[in-house]
Amino acid sequence: MAWFQKKPTETAAESPKTTPPVRVGKGLKVASILAEDTILFPGEGHDKAAVLQTLAAAVCGKAGIADWASFLAKVQEREQGISTTLDTGLSLPHARMDGIPGILAGMAVLKKPIPDPKQPDLAIRVMFLFFSPNKQDAFPLHLQLLRGVSSLFQPALIDQLTASSGPAAALELIKKLEA
Amino acid sequence: MKPEPRPGRRVTEVVVLTTAMLSFISFWRASAIVLCDLASTAWYVGGIVETAIGPAAPWFILGVMLCAAPMLMLYVEGSSMFVRGGVYKVVRESMGGSLAKVSVSALMFDYILTGAISSVSAGQYLAGLVNSAFPHLNIHWSVSPNLFSVVFALGVVAYFWRQNIKGIEESSDKAIKIMSLVSVMAVVIFAWAAYTIWSRGFRWPSLEVNFTHESLGWFPSHLALGRLGLLVAFGHAFLGMSGLETLAQVYREMEAPKLKNLKRAAAVIFVFALVLTGTISFLSVGLIPDEVRHTYADNLLSGLAMSMAGPHWLLLLLQAFVVLVGVIILSGAVNTSIMGSNGVLNRLAEDRIMPDTLRHLHPRFGTTHRMINLVVALQAVTILLCRGDVYLLGEAYAFGLIWSFVFNAAAVLVLRFKDRAKREWKFPGNLRLGRHELPLGLAGLFLLVLAVGLVNLLTKKVATVFGLGFTAFFFVLFLISERLNKREKAHGEHREKFNLRSAGDLAIMREEIERPNRVLVAVRDPGNLYHLNKILETHDAETTDLVVFTSRIRKGLSLVDETVSMDHDEEKLFTRVIEAAEKHGKTVTPMLVVSNEPFYAITQAAQAVGATEVVFGVSAKLSTDTQLERLAMTWGSLQKDKQPVRFRILGPGVEHAVDL
Repeated sequence: MAWFQKKPTETAAESPKTTPPVRVGKGLKVASILAEDTILFPGEGHDKAAVLQTLAAAVCGKAGIADWASFLAKVQEREQGISTTLDTGLSLPHARMDGIPGILAGMAVLKKPIPDPKQPDLAIRVMFLFFSPNKQDAFPLHLQLLRGVSSLFQPALIDQLTASSGPAAALELIKKLEA
Repeated sequence: MKPEPRPGRRVTEVVVLTTAMLSFISFWRASAIVLCDLASTAWYVGGIVETAIGPAAPWFILGVMLCAAPMLMLYVEGSSMFVRGGVYKVVRESMGGSLAKVSVSALMFDYILTGAISSVSAGQYLAGLVNSAFPHLNIHWSVSPNLFSVVFALGVVAYFWRQNIKGIEESSDKAIKIMSLVSVMAVVIFAWAAYTIWSRGFRWPSLEVNFTHESLGWFPSHLALGRLGLLVAFGHAFLGMSGLETLAQVYREMEAPKLKNLKRAAAVIFVFALVLTGTISFLSVGLIPDEVRHTYADNLLSGLAMSMAGPHWLLLLLQAFVVLVGVIILSGAVNTSIMGSNGVLNRLAEDRIMPDTLRHLHPRFGTTHRMINLVVALQAVTILLCRGDVYLLGEAYAFGLIWSFVFNAAAVLVLRFKDRAKREWKFPGNLRLGRHELPLGLAGLFLLVLAVGLVNLLTKKVATVFGLGFTAFFFVLFLISERLNKREKAHGEHREKFNLRSAGDLAIMREEIERPNRVLVAVRDPGNLYHLNKILETHDAETTDLVVFTSRIRKGLSLVDETVSMDHDEEKLFTRVIEAAEKHGKTVTPMLVVSNEPFYAITQAAQAVGATEVVFGVSAKLSTDTQLERLAMTWGSLQKDKQPVRFRILGPGVEHAVDL
């Protein structure tokens, strides 16, 4: 947060890669907030914390945010509370951040499921990380995204994603499903 | 069909329990229930009172029917204070348990006799019609009126026993049909009487009061003069007011807006009873010639029908119509007495005065069938013992009625001083002196009914002997039962009885809910039902079903091994839910789900019932944002369609609503 307070306009001004604000409403397309470089296929041997860290770095990197650690800290703080892992195999870490203009999102597809330390009986097969603006009027959008993503990532899609060849194929699958 | 199990699915087995669904009735239905008893007295009160006090009877009957207005107001004030009210509750709150038991014992005597006298009287009317119709049909048989009336009475009691086992919606439906028929009869009689008066003229009843030796009982004849004589005569006419207690008993089942509907019901009851009973009493004396009126003492309305202007065959048809309607409404009074006494016994059982086993709910209909069985059995025994003698029943009648009025008036009066909390409605006639208020109206009513009660003790010998005996018997029974119950378990707060039914699958719930809109309210803490009350205040019961839901969270094998029963906390929670629903007069469907994850349980239940709105209270453990986030995730994960949903979190000073 301190980073944003000191340089509130730096991120947007300095980074040409800044993701434009996404208007997410009832016609929300998850594919529209993902990009091939924010879809990761981590290798074996990672635990949840490591995957989350890699994904946060990628999402922030794509948005031109250098201080990805503060974003990671915020999402880790949220992860300490009630679980964000669903029984479908989707882990949905999220946080509401000050100073971002719209949704920032990324996804990690795990060919080999990893356990959720908070709920060992649940296996994570896809992790979808997103950050939304920390504004009261953006909260419905935040909730709609939670509902939309958890609705989209059903076991059938997750099976296809884990069997896909890479980010481009994964994004194509999501686009196809949302078409 | 059970959902297909998937690896990792958090809710693999769900046991759904439902409780007896509350159903609420309109003020028309409530009025009809009470009127079945109150208006049925029109068929016998005129004959009985005229026999006791002479030709001035209609004036005193009119006085008693006018007196029904303040009595109804008394019940409105008492009921507005206690949803599960009536004489027992009001007296207990104001004057203690012992007097409450005495008052309710007297009242039970009245209820038992109401069932007996009404059904036997109906049998007598029918026997009279059968015996007069047979010769016209060339049937040379006759029925024994007493035997016929006993058999008929037992049949009527058995019929309404079954209706009451099925529940109040069934029995109130019968009541409203009966009262519709009575209304048609009243219109026919009044129109015909108007024509008769136009063609023959009308003679107003005299004000002359003639007591018989029998009607004075132990009362010194030299004192039965002047104002005291008026009181004696008034006491004889008091049986015309039977059935009012049932208004307090059905208040629990009255739909929203409760108090407004209670007042409406009281107004309908008063006007209908006044017009029907009052007018018929005057018409009977004014139109039936003096020389034949005594022959119709037991069936005055038959006499009235036969005294109208018109051809004889048409008058016979009118008599048949009047008798048939009389038979039906008198039978309806049996229904009212069963419903009223069932309500009274329920209040006693809730207070552990009656054995807890009596509160057992019928497995199919959810009614307190054992109490209904008890009342009906006592009525049947009374019918058999009286052997069809209406006079005997009539003499014993009204003891419980007047004394329950005395206790009720005293109790509401005492509560004015004992409990100074703001009333939703007050009996009129209050004199304000600075910070104090003198309930002069209530005090006047109490003194009136007390005076009538004391006079009746002396004039109605049979009622006094049998009434005191029966009251003492019930009082001792309640006392012993209470002691035994206290020995078995410590006296605690009231717990509602529930029917637990495993629905097997949540999908079944959707079939049980009829209205197009469904709202699911999640509850957990009996002390935190703010959100439920808020929803009950505003929701439209005509278009929206309200499912009140809680989940029992179990982990691992204990989830699978869970038995279908409610624990202490769940019983307490749902008791509060039922009380809230009763208070607002709105139906709820209580539901308990056993699950291993609360948000999955709520989501599955809400989606299963097709809820368009899910309401939570403010959690002590989770922030509202976290609650909404988790619910949104779970909702999306389980949603099969794209139906929009609204999540609401309500608490004192907190209201969040999100449409997804």
